[in-house]
Amino acid sequence: MLSRVADALFWMSRYLERADHLARAVDVTFQLDLDLHGVLANPVELEWNALLSLLRQPPPQIRDGEHPVGAVQRWLLLDMANPGSVMSCVNRSRNNARSIRGSISPPMWRELNKLYWRLSDAGLPARVAESPHDFCEETQIGVLLFHGVCEATLMHDEGWHFIQLGRHLERAEKVLRILDSKFGLLERSDAADLPINNLQWGAVLKNCAAYEAYQRLYISRVEPERVVEFLLTNPDFPHSVRFCLSRIQQSLTEISGRLPDRCDDEVVRTVGRLLSDLVYLEGEALDGERLHSFLGNALTRCARIGSLLQQQYALQ
Amino acid sequence: MMSHQLAAAAPRSGTECALSVQEGLFAGYELGAAYDEMFGAIHADGPAARPHYQPLHERLLQTTAEDFRRRKAMTDLSMRQDGVGFTVYRAEEGIERVWPMDPVPRIIPASEWRQVEAGLTQRINALNLFLWDVYHEQHILRDGVVPAGRVLQGAFFRREFVGVNVPRRIYIHICGTDLIRAADGEYLVLEDNARTPSGVSYMLQNRQVIKRVFPSLFNDYDVLPNDDYPAALLDVLQYIAPESASQPTAVLLSPGMYNSAYFEHSFLAQRMGIELVEGRDLLVDGNRVFMRTTRGRQRVDVIYRRIDDDFLDPLTFRPDSALGVPGLVNAYRAGTVALANSIGTGIADDKGIYPFVPDMIRYYLKQEPLLNNVETFRPEIPAHRSHVLENLEKLVVKRVNESGGYGMLVGPASTKEQRDEFRRMIQANPRDFIAQPTIQLSTHPTFVDGRFEGRHLDLRPFVLCGERVTVTPGGLTRVALPKGSLVVNSSQGGGSKDTWILADRTPPGPPTP
Repeated sequence: MLSRVADALFWMSRYLERADHLARAVDVTFQLDLDLHGVLANPVELEWNALLSLLRQPPPQIRDGEHPVGAVQRWLLLDMANPGSVMSCVNRSRNNARSIRGSISPPMWRELNKLYWRLSDAGLPARVAESPHDFCEETQIGVLLFHGVCEATLMHDEGWHFIQLGRHLERAEKVLRILDSKFGLLERSDAADLPINNLQWGAVLKNCAAYEAYQRLYISRVEPERVVEFLLTNPDFPHSVRFCLSRIQQSLTEISGRLPDRCDDEVVRTVGRLLSDLVYLEGEALDGERLHSFLGNALTRCARIGSLLQQQYALQ
Repeated sequence: MMSHQLAAAAPRSGTECALSVQEGLFAGYELGAAYDEMFGAIHADGPAARPHYQPLHERLLQTTAEDFRRRKAMTDLSMRQDGVGFTVYRAEEGIERVWPMDPVPRIIPASEWRQVEAGLTQRINALNLFLWDVYHEQHILRDGVVPAGRVLQGAFFRREFVGVNVPRRIYIHICGTDLIRAADGEYLVLEDNARTPSGVSYMLQNRQVIKRVFPSLFNDYDVLPNDDYPAALLDVLQYIAPESASQPTAVLLSPGMYNSAYFEHSFLAQRMGIELVEGRDLLVDGNRVFMRTTRGRQRVDVIYRRIDDDFLDPLTFRPDSALGVPGLVNAYRAGTVALANSIGTGIADDKGIYPFVPDMIRYYLKQEPLLNNVETFRPEIPAHRSHVLENLEKLVVKRVNESGGYGMLVGPASTKEQRDEFRRMIQANPRDFIAQPTIQLSTHPTFVDGRFEGRHLDLRPFVLCGERVTVTPGGLTRVALPKGSLVVNSSQGGGSKDTWILADRTPPGPPTP
């Protein structure tokens, strides 16, 4: 397959995953904001600023007559001046798809194009001011439809695996970043704040589309340590970091045509090492400072995987 | 040709005031001086639909404006969701426009189409013989049938390619010929597009959309499918591959997604199952062409290029081209890769050469042209010049060596200043211009503002030349949407229509019991 095509497939998928995560995060934050309103002194500040810092985004310029929270939502969801906004990500994903329209199935293009037009139609953005929920849900459904169509209509060959690489690498990074940002919260946790804790850690799970899966597995109050363990090491949950790394490994195996232990690629080695660190992670590694450094290190390694892929497959 | 239409058109020629149709959504439909595709003979109660349009006419009479609006909206939505359109980029923001399709199809009966098909086949054969000739022995120039200077000093004549043998002696593999209909209904050739003609994807897409939006229209007609075009194109590409390639790899070379025809490039690549490549995906090594893949280099044998000659290879043509592939022209010359269309075809569809195509047909094929040119004046001939200069306000003046709509004067729509400017230019360089009468392109019912109105249109059929010549049944009908406009280009308010070629109604086989 053309290197340029592989590159565009990878980024098409990555940007879409990014849009999906951000839409979910805004929606979750919005709901959390409503819940915490009566309980905490300044939940608005706290939660929305936390989201901005998680995304490494500066506070947006507030326009005349705009509510500060509305400004954040507009900036994160709609603003094309923000290269990280949902609209920008969907637009970039679509531009990548358009540059390789011949290499994806027509229904995939159609779904992505429909998503773009639904999100740009005047009605949906206008409702964001009252509630971002519809916009966020539309985004997530659109992304799911896209991947469903992709699963069912695209050959599961090299190109499909580049799509999987983009999706899972982005997802692993996002989950790691969410955990990393909540690290401080873990330190501060206090038994007296149980209900609030429950809400906040519940929000972490929801950010990773993991709330129900977690409940099913642990049948209890949301406990921070378990949340971390679940999102890092669960082998079967699609948004756990381990699951993502394992998918990345599979796709690399398919793309290179060689088993991971027969492969001298640096990218395969980096993926393998990170994956085995997750598989054999010991309980105490999830404590305090060690967790913090583990998360930071894992993020660095994910970034490295991205740049090694570029070198290996001459992605531009 | 088609004398019944001549007769039908006769009563409303000249300045006679317009007739109109009065029923249903056709109420107030005006017939002017132009040939109308749907309405012909005048009956006691006004104009009547031509026989092949009668079933469609009756169906449309039963439609309400609301119903038709709904279908039109479905058409637009369908086009937008499929991303059928062209892109206009302003600064950072991409503005995409969908090329509007009018859901009323244009219908061409089998007998008319046979004429068109034969005429187009004859024409592409003559043009290919002409190109081979002017790049080799140049008999036609020495015999004085075409003035040598017109060819050898033409901006699109590629001196570098004299003596080069192109695969199978075919230069033009894909041709899109623009046809218009005169007031008497005769099909005339307005121009040949023998470089990188576009529009075929709209022809195919329009059919898909109308099948979705208005399936009942098909009940009354046997419409020939046009769906085989991509397969026929792939046959042509494989036919011209170097003989050394047993399983030739063909690719489509596109300038990329910012090109206005990018939708078509990706559409065709996908339908043929070949890679869509950009210049940066290809490299030439040892006079052979490769593409860069995730598994290293892969050999390329045939390139369907949608990039003009000038941008194809910075080493041979424009050195500032970032779209092309350095070394490609030499590889082509060495015969290790085939190009469709070949380099140098621009001299065949140049406006300065156009007036001579009928003579080419007589010269090479010893036949009379089956499709006529639009009457063309050449100001370099003194008698023509005086006629042109005296009638500028009635004529369309075109500059030779130019393509697209550049350097044109549309007399009836021009200002005195423009005419004076052209008068000066024609007097100074008469050889640089041709002039034609302003033809009232034929009209066709088109849905505008809740009813049907006549709008002018043309027809671009697509001709493929490989082992044989194939004319895909159909073509792209472009329609000028503003009232009275004769400009069908997509950039100037043009739209399109599905074009139906009817099957020959041969008597059915023995009845089934």
